[in-house]
Amino acid sequence: MSRCQVSGEPARVEHEDVWIENGIVLLRWPVGVVITGVTARRAFDEVNRVSADRPRPMLVDMANTKSVAREARTVFGEPSAASRIALLGRSPVDRVIANFTLGVSRVPCPTKFFTNRDQAMAFLREGLDERSD
Amino acid sequence: MSGPIDDGRLDELVDLIVRLASGDLKARLEPSRASDSIDAVITGINLLADELDTIYQTLEQRVLERTIALSEARVELERMALSDALTGLANRTLLGDRIRQATARADRGALPPCVLMLDLDEFKTINDSLGHSAGDQILVEVARRLRSVVRQTDTVARLGGDEFAIVMPDATEDDALRVAERALKELQAPVWVGDRPVWAGASIGLCFGRGSQDGEDLLRDADTAMYAAKKLGRGNIQIFRAEMHLAALRRLQVASELVTAMAENQLELQYQPIIDLRAGIVIGAEALVRWTHPERGELLPEDFIPIAEDSGHMIELGHWVINEAVRALKDWSEQLPPTFRVHINLSPVEMRWAGAADYVRQTLEKYDVPPVRLAVEISETATMTGDVAILENLLALSKLSVGVGIDGFGTGYSAISYLRRLPIDTVKLDRSIIADIAVDSQQSIFVTALLHLIESVQLRAIAEGIETAEQLDCLRDLGCDYGQGYYYSRPVGADEMRKMLSTAPMDRSD
Repeated sequence: MSRCQVSGEPARVEHEDVWIENGIVLLRWPVGVVITGVTARRAFDEVNRVSADRPRPMLVDMANTKSVAREARTVFGEPSAASRIALLGRSPVDRVIANFTLGVSRVPCPTKFFTNRDQAMAFLREGLDERSD
Repeated sequence: MSGPIDDGRLDELVDLIVRLASGDLKARLEPSRASDSIDAVITGINLLADELDTIYQTLEQRVLERTIALSEARVELERMALSDALTGLANRTLLGDRIRQATARADRGALPPCVLMLDLDEFKTINDSLGHSAGDQILVEVARRLRSVVRQTDTVARLGGDEFAIVMPDATEDDALRVAERALKELQAPVWVGDRPVWAGASIGLCFGRGSQDGEDLLRDADTAMYAAKKLGRGNIQIFRAEMHLAALRRLQVASELVTAMAENQLELQYQPIIDLRAGIVIGAEALVRWTHPERGELLPEDFIPIAEDSGHMIELGHWVINEAVRALKDWSEQLPPTFRVHINLSPVEMRWAGAADYVRQTLEKYDVPPVRLAVEISETATMTGDVAILENLLALSKLSVGVGIDGFGTGYSAISYLRRLPIDTVKLDRSIIADIAVDSQQSIFVTALLHLIESVQLRAIAEGIETAEQLDCLRDLGCDYGQGYYYSRPVGADEMRKMLSTAPMDRSD
């Protein structure tokens, strides 16, 4: 598991976590995070690093994200190690943010928003199955 | 999320939309911690506002960039329309504008403007011999030097070719002369084309504005003064005087009358015999063109040849001379002594014309006259330019067996190197160096040296302008074998020349 410090942000949103579990990359944003271009870039690099540059499905836990800056959405549009992305949220705000990101940015791999973790994992596993075929 | 909500967020949301609608695209509303549907709408509107703001900024930036680009393009277009592409100097349009401004200033009490017209000496020769790229380099350098000699208020322009002009507003005669002299001085230093020094001297004409005179008139008069300066030789400055304009008009008239003269047989070739000074026999004749003008009587070549050269009629006139001389040779064919030949003078303008040698060949063929009966003479200074076109014509004529001679030898560089290099067979000693030969021992020594020089490269020397028995004796003593001059005969018409060829030798040595 990798931990990144986010200097200058509120203590409760001071870092995002990136790790691998059963071949799936997990990225968890802190509750109430404001995702800027800088934090997006840092998370993006970290995902690539822990993936060891192999394509992997990724679960992004973005529950209770406060906002996503335009610059951050640009970073999410760049190709990365993620081969398939499930965005996991809870609130209507998460849904708006996620769909806004999906709608405005051109995402480089299949990406969907879920409020149910199992459904999200099933979607990611589809990717794993496709690859193992 | 369901049920009525009354925590004020809906009112705040309405306010946000109103602010955004009024153009405040920076307006945002912080979502609450509830993260409910109202917060979702607030977040969505915030995100849309972000997008809208970015799009607006991008558009504004693009409009700004395009406006700047358009403005720069307009400035560049104006600059191109008003400047000379090669040198970056003002062009004729801008110069005219500056003259108008300077004239308007003079109307408000300033001194009238002065226009300087500057033309490079021998630029055509430079272009022809070194190529247009070298010519362009020289023009750029001349432009730079001219810029360095003017006042801040003056405008330097290139009017085309090697013609430059400077307009000096509010100028005294001293100011204008100072700039003109500095310009000539700057141009005295060679321009380096690669490792080759080239001298681009100039002639300058000045004209001061007078009353309501417009820019075109000023330029025309400065040009007339420049022309007068050129006539005085290289590196001259002339201020316009009214009589110069009359002279220019006269020249224009002569140029147009010359065309009529050729068509209406007002021109005539006269022949001055060339004599073997020892045997006293006629070995040739120099053909000299005369113009019997219906109003002004007989005109000498110097009265109209330069005008023909400047007005573009020289080739036509040259053709007339070649044709007449060859036709005369045909007419005299039964009386001609074995080695007799007619010498015709070709101007540098004719010799630079690529078809010169070919025209001579065609004319000889037309009249069935052997090429050895004809010789062409070209001035010493014209051969010194090293002009490739001239050299090619001389070589072609020589190959044809037409004689080639240097005229006016002894007045220019008189260098042995080019006597050896050029395909020539005769050298004419200029009349000016013969004039005092009988009374000036130094001159006699000088002529002796020249004759030795000519003999050393196995060329034939012909002395021009023999007018007295003493000059003849002297020349004979010095070993000059051939000559011509009034002592023997003035130039005569074709019929008289024919008679001369039929009569006894012209031995006047007794």
